[in-house]
Amino acid sequence: MEEFIRAEHVDFKYEFENEELPEVLSDVNLGVHRGEFLALLGHNGSGKSTLAKHFNAMLLPTGGKVFVEEMDTADEENKLAIRSRVGLIQQNPDNQLVASIVEEDVAFGPENLGVAPEEIRRRVDDVLKTVGMYEYRRHAPHKLSGGQKQRIAIAGILAMQPECIVLDEPTSMLDPRGRREVLDTVLKLNREKGITIVLITHNMDEAVLADRVVVMDRGKPVFEGTPREVFSQVKRMQSLRLDVPQATELAFELNQAGYPIAPDVLTEEECAQALATLLGKNAV
Amino acid sequence: MIKDITIGQFFPGNSAVHRLDPRIKFVLTFAAIVFVFVANSAAAIALMTLAVFSVIALTRIPVKLYFKGLKPILVIILITSLLNIFYIRTGNILWSWKFITITDQGLMRSVLIAVRIAVMILISCVLTYTTSPTDLTDAIERLMKPLKVIRVPVHEIAMMMTIALRFVPTLLEETDKITSAQKARGADLESGSLMQRVRAMIPILIPLFVSAFRRAYELAMAMECRCYHGGEGRTRMKQLHMSSRDYVALALGAILFCGVILCNLIPPSL
Repeated sequence: MEEFIRAEHVDFKYEFENEELPEVLSDVNLGVHRGEFLALLGHNGSGKSTLAKHFNAMLLPTGGKVFVEEMDTADEENKLAIRSRVGLIQQNPDNQLVASIVEEDVAFGPENLGVAPEEIRRRVDDVLKTVGMYEYRRHAPHKLSGGQKQRIAIAGILAMQPECIVLDEPTSMLDPRGRREVLDTVLKLNREKGITIVLITHNMDEAVLADRVVVMDRGKPVFEGTPREVFSQVKRMQSLRLDVPQATELAFELNQAGYPIAPDVLTEEECAQALATLLGKNAV
Repeated sequence: MIKDITIGQFFPGNSAVHRLDPRIKFVLTFAAIVFVFVANSAAAIALMTLAVFSVIALTRIPVKLYFKGLKPILVIILITSLLNIFYIRTGNILWSWKFITITDQGLMRSVLIAVRIAVMILISCVLTYTTSPTDLTDAIERLMKPLKVIRVPVHEIAMMMTIALRFVPTLLEETDKITSAQKARGADLESGSLMQRVRAMIPILIPLFVSAFRRAYELAMAMECRCYHGGEGRTRMKQLHMSSRDYVALALGAILFCGVILCNLIPPSL
């Protein structure tokens, strides 16, 4: 598969009053394929948010290079082109909305890019329908729920017609319902519109939805694979101070205790199925 | 408490006044305020008052709300008119006691001042009640565009206004939250002397400021992520178009202002 974003030997450290702080990223090599849904996992301070900000030139590597569609992020001239292709959604939906009316906020991105007014109107209506917020287009953002605000933020990015959206813990400040709304939207964008998704998350049940999971620790990716490959390594995940989905953990514990159950179940349904089979066998 | 202030508030509607181009409304409001002070005969003031009340009727917003907007200014109106009564000593003396003299001219003058201020406030209320804040900033940005020549950062000012308007409700909500949090920790905000109460505000203001700075940082980042790079090369989704309604409003305004000038010639001038 073609690599849409490519990080090559990326090092990064913050500088504070000429005092160099320890490296946040060290020698990161990672590719994001076009059209994939990538989940980036790691405990606090593993550098995953810092890496995400490298993907749209919000941060520039202190060593190494990041390329977006072969454009070097360090080149100032590429900045707008890169940011219109790779959108970044942050944690707090409140602090990402600029205007006091939903549709005007969504129009903000394309307005900055100098898109013609009629085209902006068309895009705004279009993306608001995509995220299911069209009826709210004349509302004030502060009266919406967290999940709705986050979907407006996503619409604001979508209006720039990006090819990739990077979401930095987009659901961590939302209630379960808002979380569901945002995840459904993200999945829809990936499956139906073919938009590349990079989801940074703490929530393992969200990571299960991805095509590929990359686990980061101390500023570099330590291992990757499909969710099933990654989460079946329960011991390794725990050594990195990460959880696995509850269903996986249950199956793992049962397996450890000597029951014949495959330790690589991911979802609750799979777990229930495996348990039913197990119980059925014993009952006979 | 903060939510009770009506001046500066917007009441959505679909009246002829609501649908006017915000630029026209802004220009007419500005001109009307100037003409309230140009008017210096009883007839001219009466004409302006009549005009303002006709526009108020056109907005289809209850008059009660306009008077609510006047309320916070009432004290200022009273003080200025009282000062005028005692300050002006020309004309026929109506009543005098020690150093206080009240003359007929002074009385007329103070009534005039009171009416002027009240009418001025009502005019600005018409503008803010019928125009959404975003339309208003839009109008200001477009009207001030010529000032760019003398290096006034027009776009930046309009952007700042937009962001301020966007975050007023958010920060109010946050103030309420912090207040509750401090009360839950035993903060006493309602009793004590004025100084004590002012001091009690500090534990509310500090977290509010810290959070406002954090928000500003995150917002700036979000704006950059959405390709914001100043006003250069920026387009707007919403275009403003002058319709026949706007030309009619302009014409009516012009007739009114000519009327005011004519009425100024009618005695008694003040």
